[in-house]
Amino acid sequence: MATILVADDSETILLLMRTRLEMAGHTVETAADGQEVLDHIAAGVKPDMLLLDAMMPRKSGIDALRELRGAGWEVPALIVSAHQNRDDANAPTDLAIDGYVTKPIDFDRLLETVAELTAQAH
Amino acid sequence: MAVIGVGRFLEQRQDFEDQIARSYQVEMEARVEVAQGTGGQAARDTVEREADRRNELRDEISADTRDTALLVAAGLLAGLTGALLLFSGLISSMRRPLEELVDAAGRLAAGDRSTRVEVGGLSETATLGAAFNEMAEELEQEESRREQLDRLKDEFVLTASHELRSPLTSVQGFAELLMLERDSLTPRQAETVEIILDNCRHLVRLLNDLLDLARSDAGRLSIRPQPTEVAPLIDDVVRTMRAQTEAGNQSLTEHVPPGLPSISVEPDRIRQILVNLLTNAHEYSPEGASIGVSARTLGDEVEISVTDNGPGIPEEQLGRIFDRFTRGDAGLTQRVGGTGLGLAISKSLVELHGGSIAAESTVGQGSTFRVRLPIAAAPAADGDGASGQAKPAEAS
Repeated sequence: MATILVADDSETILLLMRTRLEMAGHTVETAADGQEVLDHIAAGVKPDMLLLDAMMPRKSGIDALRELRGAGWEVPALIVSAHQNRDDANAPTDLAIDGYVTKPIDFDRLLETVAELTAQAH
Repeated sequence: MAVIGVGRFLEQRQDFEDQIARSYQVEMEARVEVAQGTGGQAARDTVEREADRRNELRDEISADTRDTALLVAAGLLAGLTGALLLFSGLISSMRRPLEELVDAAGRLAAGDRSTRVEVGGLSETATLGAAFNEMAEELEQEESRREQLDRLKDEFVLTASHELRSPLTSVQGFAELLMLERDSLTPRQAETVEIILDNCRHLVRLLNDLLDLARSDAGRLSIRPQPTEVAPLIDDVVRTMRAQTEAGNQSLTEHVPPGLPSISVEPDRIRQILVNLLTNAHEYSPEGASIGVSARTLGDEVEISVTDNGPGIPEEQLGRIFDRFTRGDAGLTQRVGGTGLGLAISKSLVELHGGSIAAESTVGQGSTFRVRLPIAAAPAADGDGASGQAKPAEAS
């Protein structure tokens, strides 16, 4: 299965994400904010996919993704938002985002999307 | 002028009377001479001449009388016209500012709070204009205060809903985790977890409804329609609802004919509407009930129907069902966890799409909700920018 880098500032949500994704057979790396995502990647972590919370202290998921895309990273990325829909999340339209996940998370749908986006990875 | 004319006429009239009297006197004197035989031919001529002279005088005076009457009539007419002109001038000097006031009031009522009138004209209309401007000023300030409050309310609801979602995600997520291991739970534990999940779903709906309501009130409920296929949308909704209907031993069937045209909608919003309709069908119908979702083409619309064979909706409630805070039979609300906002919001959303929603029901037989949505103009060929981009995952 795939290696997924999950970022959220809530430890509880990270634990929940890790549990569900690992149950589905994925390998999970976690980060507490956008800066940690960048640090992990700089340290050599090679995720097949990113699952980033839109709003986090220090550096948001959207800002982290913007930096990664700027550096030429094309790894699929889902933005998780506690907003009801993407309009509320003020999602940028100029950033390549592969989908939005709203809280509370519909894990059945999320796991399906993850499977689709990582189908080419092993 | 008429007065002068009449005065002169009266003078002439006096003169005429004098002349007539003198003429009679002369004639009488001549007649006396004729009778006495002293005047001879000259006296007889005098009698005739005086009679002729009086006739002439009479003709002259009657012509003068006619002229004077005409003059008086003309004078009266001129006076009346003058008065009329004066009066209409007065009226129009009042009417113009009044008309402007009426126009301005119309614009103000139509929502243009920056409307003001030019203060001028008679002192009465000027006072009225100033009062109008003062009122418009106050209305404008009041409106901007209200807009600010609306914004604050919207922001508050958005923030509150945002902050509540994170803990709710954890509660629901971990409860779902427990349910994944249902086999190792005792029946009582499983039931407990189900109650937790039910309430989580209720909370989520409450939050969503509150958000939509705040937005709808502020006129900020908006949609982004895109060509959307009907079948996958319905599949998705049915999948979401499956766990709940199965828990109630209710059958959930789907009848979507192949080849339905794409509709022009925002998929998330239609999902929300259908989930709302199916949740209602599920919650108001007893255990073992049948719930169905079907779709068909109707002219330039696609109709999606949600049908149940539950208790139905009494006719007197059916008319109010799309109003806010209206819910089905009070006896049921005890166990049905709704906000009474779902259908009102669904209706707003459907209408925002240019569609319509209707309900029909027979007590004891069940209810059907029909949602009609416009068919997309072009085939759903162009993909959505963000989600349609296929990017190869970086191989590890």
